[in-house]
This record gives sequence, structure tokens and C-alpha cells, in this order.
Amino acid sequence: MNGGSRGTFLVVAAIAVSLALVGAYLAAGGSSYEPAKTQDPCKPRPWRNPEGLAQIAEQFSLSALDGAACQLGVSREALARALATPAARERFTKRYGIDDTELARAVRAGLLRAVDDAERAGALSPLLAGPLRATLRRIPIEQAIELINDARSLLNNLQTFLGPAGGLIEEFLP
Amino acid sequence: MSAAPRPRLAALAVAVGLVLADSSIVVLALPRIYRELDTSVAGVTWVLVSFNLVMALAAVPAAHLARRIGPGRAAAIGLAVFAGAGLACGLAEQLSTLIAARCVQALGGAAAVTAVLELLPSELARNERHDLIPVSGARVGSDVSSVGSERRAVAVWATAGATGAALGPAVGGLLTELVSWQSIFLLQAPIAIVAGVPVLAVARHEAATGVVAAELRRTGRPNLLANAALAMVSAAIAAALFLLVLLLIEGWRLSPIGAAIVVSAMPLAALLGARLGSSAGGERARAAAGAILVVGGLGGLALLPKAEVALTLPPQLLVGVGLALVLSALTETALAGRAPQAIHGGWTISARHAGVAIGLIVLTPVFTADIAEQRHDAIDASTAVLLDARVDPLLKLQLAQRIEDRLEGERGKVPTIGPAFEPLPSDPEDRADVLRLREELQDQLDRAATHAFSPSFGLGALLGLLALVPIGLARRVDL
Repeated sequence: MNGGSRGTFLVVAAIAVSLALVGAYLAAGGSSYEPAKTQDPCKPRPWRNPEGLAQIAEQFSLSALDGAACQLGVSREALARALATPAARERFTKRYGIDDTELARAVRAGLLRAVDDAERAGALSPLLAGPLRATLRRIPIEQAIELINDARSLLNNLQTFLGPAGGLIEEFLP
Repeated sequence: MSAAPRPRLAALAVAVGLVLADSSIVVLALPRIYRELDTSVAGVTWVLVSFNLVMALAAVPAAHLARRIGPGRAAAIGLAVFAGAGLACGLAEQLSTLIAARCVQALGGAAAVTAVLELLPSELARNERHDLIPVSGARVGSDVSSVGSERRAVAVWATAGATGAALGPAVGGLLTELVSWQSIFLLQAPIAIVAGVPVLAVARHEAATGVVAAELRRTGRPNLLANAALAMVSAAIAAALFLLVLLLIEGWRLSPIGAAIVVSAMPLAALLGARLGSSAGGERARAAAGAILVVGGLGGLALLPKAEVALTLPPQLLVGVGLALVLSALTETALAGRAPQAIHGGWTISARHAGVAIGLIVLTPVFTADIAEQRHDAIDASTAVLLDARVDPLLKLQLAQRIEDRLEGERGKVPTIGPAFEPLPSDPEDRADVLRLREELQDQLDRAATHAFSPSFGLGALLGLLALVPIGLARRVDL
């Protein structure tokens, strides 16, 4: 092989090796190796089969978060972090230009969606769903704000989360 | 003269290797400097950028100075300044002091490395004569050099520089881990002084004879295309090394010594490339093939399919072989038939360091913005994993609080969440659930960290591709 041919071979080999590496990494999923995208909170999220009050409460909270986040136009995850502490909530409202009233209205809308989701999932009796919705619609804004001030109760304790409606749910759970 | 020819030749090679290692030796120390000096990623990048920028600006004027005052004196002064500034770097307690000292170090380094290129031909000629007859003294000047010794001088100079640059990150990583980042600079001072001692003899001879001033020759214009290609490909190589180190240490949480071992694949591959280059085609083909391999390697790093160290090895192999081919070919092209060598060597040094500096200046805002964006995405993804996790709600809330605390503590960095899971629950079922959750969260963070670097590696590949333009033009235009 003369110098010119060796040079051409070298360039062609370099192109082939480079393309092979890039192609192999693309085929192995290199273009999609990134953090999972968050789901649109306005789209329905299937309920897992809840067992017991704690799990129903958790699913209920997640649905409520979805509903409230959808109303506010933010992700469920951003809202969940905002509700974790009063300081986080303050940062959130400042960042998105949302006042407490809007936030409370959104949480109330979220609660109503959670009732819908629970009913659809068979976790809440239809006999209970109607009165529960009526109760949630009457929840004072201040109480909604109180509810969202305590993130632990929001995620953990359905009774505290729903205030007066919590007792009803426990009675009418299937 | 006091120094024997061979030790002096070795001292000159060490001086070049030491100075050119300095453009990359602190790469693995940057994360440690970043933490200890409490600065930002963009701020700490200037520890590298300042050195390369000043080298780029000072290399050609330093070469002129070397020819005016004599290469021996210029090299001796340069090494002394380099050593003194190295001590200042090692003692710096603030980023601004460190950066200022790095600038002075680069000034000294530029003077030393360009002067050495002027000294080498005569030193090689002396060595050849020394092998035949005893030598009691030597003149510094072109009368003892020849075209052959100039070519060999370029080869020695380029090899010493490439060896230094290749070993730099690994040595820097080892010193950072085993001693401290300061030790990198403090160790340079005695090495520079030892390398400078044999040069003093030449400097004294120049002072006594004044022979150098009479040998000034008219300087030809630099090889623009070769130097432009050198700048672009150097920017791409800097991207590969700098970003990979940051990914390994800051993204994947490797220790400096672990990262040093991983990135050693690149200089090892460069050794392979150097062997390959000696038996393959002409300069243009080697330059083109090398640039293509660098682009391919960077493309692979931009498309890593998983956060696994082993997956960085094939791209590093390509970059390493590629850099050996392209740097040697372009340096030889830039210096071929040009005189004086020190001036044109200065141009190649200037082009390479300008490329590194420009690459870092262009890439830093890109990857810092991407890290911030990916941090946000990682936190969202992790929150989603946590919300949907099948763990006890009370435990979930405790974890959420601890993770939130860690996120707050880690400011703009990709967070480490492992410690948030300590202590693990004693109940075996809960423990298994929590470990699974930790794994899922870590996966999201790994994905975010890896993905944050992809656009910057891609941009580095683009810079490498651009280097093909002047290489391609050089096929048609005789420069």
C-alpha cells in the first residue's frame, strides 16, 4: 500500500469506526437516556388497587394533587414540594405568581377530582360520592388553606386532609 | 559548560512536558478546588481558562523575546517565574489569587516552552557530536544545527509536550486524592528549578558571548490553516477531557483517583495512536482521520446509553487515538519549512491553548445551564418516583423531608441523595422497599447528570468537525 492509499484507508477507517460507535450508542438508547418526564396532571392517572384506609388516603391525596396542579397549570411534583413546608409554599406562590386564595381554590378542585377518581376506581361508594362532593364544595377557603399548610396530613392522613368530610369517608368506604 | 549534553536534553524535555501538562493537570482537581474555595462551576473553570488564555496570548511574544535575549536566558527566566507562580498557586486561599498566579505561571511557561524549541536543535547537534568526540563547550546558534536536527527537535518538543499533556490529568488526580490539590502546584516548583539548572549554563554563555542577538532572522508568516485546525481540534479535545472529568466526579460521584484511572484510557490510547501515526499516510490524512476520531469519540460521549464507566472507554479510545494523530500531524505541518522554529512553535502553542480556552469559554455556560435544567428535571422525576413509591406513607414523608434538606444543601449541583436514606429501616420488608426506592431515585439522578453533559459533548464534536474545514482546505491551498 502506498502513502496515498494508506492515507485514504486511514480516513475511511476513522469514519467507519466513528459511525459504528455512534450507531451502537444510539441503538442502545443513548438519545433517550434522560430523567423520566413528569405526567400531565390534567390527564387521568390510574389508581392502584388500594388496600385499607392508608392506601386509599394516599391515592386520594395523589389525585387531589393532580387535580390542584392541573387547575394551577403546574406539575403535580412541583405542587407536592410546595406543600411540604410553609417556606416551600411561599417560594412556590412567589415563583408562579399565585396567591393563597387561588391555591386554596385549586386544592378544593383537586379534592373534587379525587372523589371522582376514587369513585371511578371503586374505592368510594357512589352513595357517598355525592354528599362528599357537596361537603367539599362547602369547605371554607380558610380551611382549605389550613389543609394545604400541613403537607404531612395532605399525604398521610385522609381524615385531616378532608376535615369534616374525612369522617364521612371512613364510614362509607367499601 | 557544567551540564553534560544528555542530562541537559532531558531537562529541556522535562521543562516542556511540565509546562504543557499544566494546561490539563488541574482538571481532576477542579471539583475539589470548587468545594474548598467555595466558588461556582463557571468560576473554577477560570483556573484552566486563565492559564490557557495567557499561554495563547504570550506564546508568540515570548518566542520573540527568546530570540532577542537568548533562548537560554528566556528559558531560565521562564522556568523561574513558572516555579515561583506555582508556589503562589499552591498557597492561594482565594480563587482570585489562584487565577492571578495561574496567569503569571502561564507567562513563565510560555517563555520556557518556546525558548526550549530554540535550544533543542543545537542541543541535539551537540549530542550527536558528543557521541563522536569529547566536547568542552558549545556555541548556541544555527551553525551547529541543521535541517535534520531541527526536525528531530520538533519531534522531541512535540513528544515531550504531548506526554506532559497526556499524563497531566492522571498525575493531578493522584496528587489531589493522595495529598491535596495544592500539592500539584507545590510539586511543580522544585521540578521546574531542577529542569532550569542545566539551562543556566546556556544562559551564562549567551550573556558572555552575546551571540544570539546577531542571529535574528526574518520571521515567515505562520501556517494559518494548520494553526486554525489546531485551535479547533484542541477545543474539542479540551471538551472531551474537561467534561468527562466533571461528569465522572460531579455527575457520577467518582473520587479524583477513580476518575484519574478512568481518564487514563485517553493517554494510553494516544500512545497507540502515536504508533499508528508513524506508519500511516501523510500529514493531511492523519490530521483528517484524527479529527474524525475525536468527533466520533465526542459523539459517543454525547450519546452515552447508561451511567456506566465502561461505556466511556470506547469513546475515550477514539479521542485518544484521534488526538495523537491530529495533533502531531498539524504541528508538523505548521512547522514544516518554517523558520525560526521558536516563533512558529509559539504559534502552534498559541493556537492550541487559544482553542482550549475558547472551548472552555464557549462550553462552560452551556453545561452550567444544562446542569441547572437537568437538576430541575431530576428533582421532578425523583419527586414523581417518591410520590408513586410503594412504601409506608409516613416513611415516605420522612424521606421527602430528608431529600428536600439535601437538595437545599447542594445548591446548584446535581444532588446526592444516598445519605438521605440513612439509617435504613430495620424491618426487612421496609428496608427492601426503601433500597428499591433509593435505586430508582439514583437512576433518575444518574440520567439527569449524564444527560446534562450531552449537549456540551455534542458541541465539542461540532468544534472537532469544524477543524475538518481548514484541514480540507489545506488539500487545495499550499500554505
